[in-house]
Amino acid sequence: MPITPMEVYKLLPKTNCRKCGEPTCMSFAFKVINREKNIEECTPLFEDDRYSRQRDELLKLLEPLKEATETGLIVTEDLCVGCANCIVVCPVHAAEDPYGSAAGSGPKIEDPIFRLEDGVLKVINMTKCRRYGKNRILCVACRENCPSDAIRFLEG
Amino acid sequence: MICTGCSCLCDDIVVDGGVRNACRRGAGIFRFVNEGRAKPMINGEVVDFEKAMDAAGDIIGNSEKLAVYGLDTTTVEAQQKAIELAKTKEAYIDDNSSFCLGDFVELILKEELPTTTLDEVRNNAYVVFYWGTDVYHSLSRHMSRFTYYPRGGKRQRGYEEDRFLVVVDVRRSHTAKLAKKNARFIEVGDDLELIDAILKVLDGKAPEKFAKDAVRIVKEMQKADFNVIIGGLGLKYGLKGDYQQFLEFVRRVNEVTNLYFIPAGCHPNMRGFNQLLFEKTGHVNRYSFRDEEAGEKFAFPKLLEDGEIDAALIVGTDPVNSLPFDIAKKLKDIKTILIDPRQSLTAEIADVVLPSAISGLETGGTMIRIDGVKVELAPFLEKKPDDVSIISSLLEAV
Repeated sequence: MPITPMEVYKLLPKTNCRKCGEPTCMSFAFKVINREKNIEECTPLFEDDRYSRQRDELLKLLEPLKEATETGLIVTEDLCVGCANCIVVCPVHAAEDPYGSAAGSGPKIEDPIFRLEDGVLKVINMTKCRRYGKNRILCVACRENCPSDAIRFLEG
Repeated sequence: MICTGCSCLCDDIVVDGGVRNACRRGAGIFRFVNEGRAKPMINGEVVDFEKAMDAAGDIIGNSEKLAVYGLDTTTVEAQQKAIELAKTKEAYIDDNSSFCLGDFVELILKEELPTTTLDEVRNNAYVVFYWGTDVYHSLSRHMSRFTYYPRGGKRQRGYEEDRFLVVVDVRRSHTAKLAKKNARFIEVGDDLELIDAILKVLDGKAPEKFAKDAVRIVKEMQKADFNVIIGGLGLKYGLKGDYQQFLEFVRRVNEVTNLYFIPAGCHPNMRGFNQLLFEKTGHVNRYSFRDEEAGEKFAFPKLLEDGEIDAALIVGTDPVNSLPFDIAKKLKDIKTILIDPRQSLTAEIADVVLPSAISGLETGGTMIRIDGVKVELAPFLEKKPDDVSIISSLLEAV
């Protein structure tokens, strides 16, 4: 399930204390999901015992952040059957590897975004993904063509 | 490297420490190549290979009514030898296609169904039907390698604009979930109803069922000069053994546009066996060299059920696992010889087990992909004896 900033915001202190450097708790919630800020930077949450229940709940909610790659991609290998749909539909692969993955074969370039290794999808080079970096595009081509939901994105 | 996991026979596998580009099933074959291997056995006891060979030769020599069965996972060369053996012994010969897609292959070989190759499909196909098959699981890389997703030839924009997917199934399978943009999923109760609906649209009448879908599909098919049906077992069961209506449907569609058919069989070299036997006898499976005819009564499960055989040579398949138990249990009443690289349930009950090399990994040869394209295998290990040498020596012993 994707994590929304509102879910994070609901569990924050909601005092807009600015100790984290952000003007509001809502903007802090956004940045936590984009992984520009760490949840630990919200000091009141960790120092004040009033928030202990919220804190535990929030840490549990943010657990998937750790396994996600820089672009928010999460691959559940147990669900992957290795159909390679994601590799072939990827617009970056189509542009950079026209005779390899774009035409249905395995990637012929050295550093594709992902490829099949030992029968399941492995992320090789996330920096090529259109979702990477500041001017990112929220492309979901790989997720849309994965019927077993082995590919997910943090924000849905 | 060629993967012999299914009838796609993917040719882009790289093995260097790990296995690259193979699907989960294919990678398993490469990764666990040395696990669960069969040992030469007589009546469940491990013996020398030579001893097992002698015992197998005796069983075949003494058999009056022998059946040769399986052969779908081995090479064309081994199949050739097995057919020779069956001919010499005037035996029955059958493979899994008798309860799989053999009927469709027969129609294709008799040129009653127009067919094409998967490479042509990649370069030209516009409407791609998946009819009665969940290829996402059975042939995982089929869609991404050959049909819906890849770009090639006239279809440079791939699935985004240059393809139209139609999935026909009785339930919303994983393949059906992929039918999103430029696609239709048709949930059928009876496949003949959909065929009727499309035929009615071609006649210019409004069908009662599937009205919207049938009109859209016919319109899309007319947009291009190359459309293809990938038909699976669901289609075979849906037609209930009566192929005339389906042939009529394909013929009628071909009057207004081009529609081809490719079966979605799973065994890597089923087409090879069908083609070989067809060249030699005019039938694709269920053949009796004694009666010189083919028929339902010569199908291996039927022979077992009727107690028509006294010995069976089983090559590269696991009937105890795949046949209904009531039929499979009759294997204990006859003498069985199993030639298989791996330990299986059939190996546990077989009188003689002869371990062989895995085709494609440990021994070379030719296989025929489900669309009729010959593929030369490229083994990366060396192991003897392989199916060809085992069946050849059995043939010599006879």
